[in-house]
Amino acid sequence: MSIAGKVVLVTGSGTGIGQGIALEMAKRGAITALHYNRSEAGVLQTKQQIDEAGGDSLIVQADVSKQKDIAAMVRQIESRAGEIDVLVNNAAVQLNYDLFKHDGETFDRMFDTNVKGYWQCIQAVVPGMKRKGSGRIILISSVHAKRPTDFDPVYAMTKGAIRMLGRESAIELAPYGITVNTIEPGAVDVGKYNLILPDDPDAEKKREARRKHHQEKFPMGRVGLPLDVAHLACFLASDESEYMTGSAIRLDGGSMLL
Amino acid sequence: MNQPAQVILLTDADNPVGKAMIRRFAGEGAHFLLNSESNGTAAIAEIDFAKASGSKVIVRNVDLSADAGASELVLLAERELGPLDVLIHNNDRLVSMSIEGGPEPSYREVINANAKSAFLCARAAGKVMAPRESGCILFVSSIHAEKPTGSSFAYSASKGAIKMLAKEAALELGRHGIRVNTIEVGPLEGDNERFQSSLTTLYRSYDTKVPSARLGTAEDIANVACFLASEEARYVNGADLRLDGGFLLHYMDHKMKQPRSGDSP
Repeated sequence: MSIAGKVVLVTGSGTGIGQGIALEMAKRGAITALHYNRSEAGVLQTKQQIDEAGGDSLIVQADVSKQKDIAAMVRQIESRAGEIDVLVNNAAVQLNYDLFKHDGETFDRMFDTNVKGYWQCIQAVVPGMKRKGSGRIILISSVHAKRPTDFDPVYAMTKGAIRMLGRESAIELAPYGITVNTIEPGAVDVGKYNLILPDDPDAEKKREARRKHHQEKFPMGRVGLPLDVAHLACFLASDESEYMTGSAIRLDGGSMLL
Repeated sequence: MNQPAQVILLTDADNPVGKAMIRRFAGEGAHFLLNSESNGTAAIAEIDFAKASGSKVIVRNVDLSADAGASELVLLAERELGPLDVLIHNNDRLVSMSIEGGPEPSYREVINANAKSAFLCARAAGKVMAPRESGCILFVSSIHAEKPTGSSFAYSASKGAIKMLAKEAALELGRHGIRVNTIEVGPLEGDNERFQSSLTTLYRSYDTKVPSARLGTAEDIANVACFLASEEARYVNGADLRLDGGFLLHYMDHKMKQPRSGDSP
């Protein structure tokens, strides 16, 4: 299941899931383009970890809601590493606004990055993939492409749109040997929330409460990790996934079944 | 279905489904605020029918993808017709475009006309319905919220987005006594032309892929909408009702409904 030597672009490599995917792909020998928009500190950390593991990577900056930025980013990657074999669309905005707090402006902002950004990144890498006669496009979506969030309706709308972007791209690009698959992660611990500090006097009690919560809400007994998503992404990026396209894979430790 | 007259906001009165809605709900004694790009001329026969049936009808032509548009219509309906009972979002813009070469303005046109207007209308209607703990929102969507078109990803993406909007609203507004449902429509007469594609054989012999070998009609949709808007559907919330005669169950071309001897040609 090798991806060694492949040129990979992971958008949103400065944080969370994107960081986990980029790191794992680079460790497996992919030449990994680490995209970020504002998370510069994060992407430098990703790069450092890849360097320490002996991997090959480069950092690229772009606002993926702007087609011009995307085009410049792809040109930069191609001139440094060659045509892109694998695109991992991951960079997304989440505002956690309810129906009444959202308005036309926040709707546009979310769609421009989460949907238009995914689409125009696909547009930008397709010519190179067509020349090679093969390519792998992976869309990082969410279980909220199917199940509502109850905390951000527009976020779920963008994920519902991505579900169809994945299906449409799959049938349009299949004749060129390009596959398009979607990963729908459930809750993933990206180290952002509910940090329990070591000197917290209630630390043990809090850890116990969390363990109980995970046991109740996740059949596998734990929350997801970026590495879980990375493992699946590596399979989808490999030659072995050749016949798989237009699929959306729920990756949630079974939590959506409860 | 024996219920008091309802005040209905219908977002595209001009297309065949919109027209059928007017006739069907007029028969139930409803009053209408219609958004119509033709200012009512495209649906003049239906509007006349509704008026003759005793319905009050107001026609406007508002851009529903702008923040102010949806609120303006909702407030107008409340002022002129009374409390808004039902929002029927019926926008169905389609612009053919490929993933590979599709231009950004076409994408934006479709997303705005379908998904953004759906969001802004649900928000505006929800605001006035929630304090009353009553109301019904219907999205007339498409089987292409699930099945790729092979002709316009922006279209299917907009329908996929509406599917999730409806589920979100069914939760958030559902706690305020509002029901939100989606009808996923297809295949209708002419859809083989409308969704013409070299990438999919979906609409080839599309009528005989329906087990009953009959295409859907605007009246079929209006009938289901009428039920969903009625008190009899009071427990239906967050549902997406695939109204396609079984069309999407078709896989490969193994079996099709064949005309029997004696059937009229």
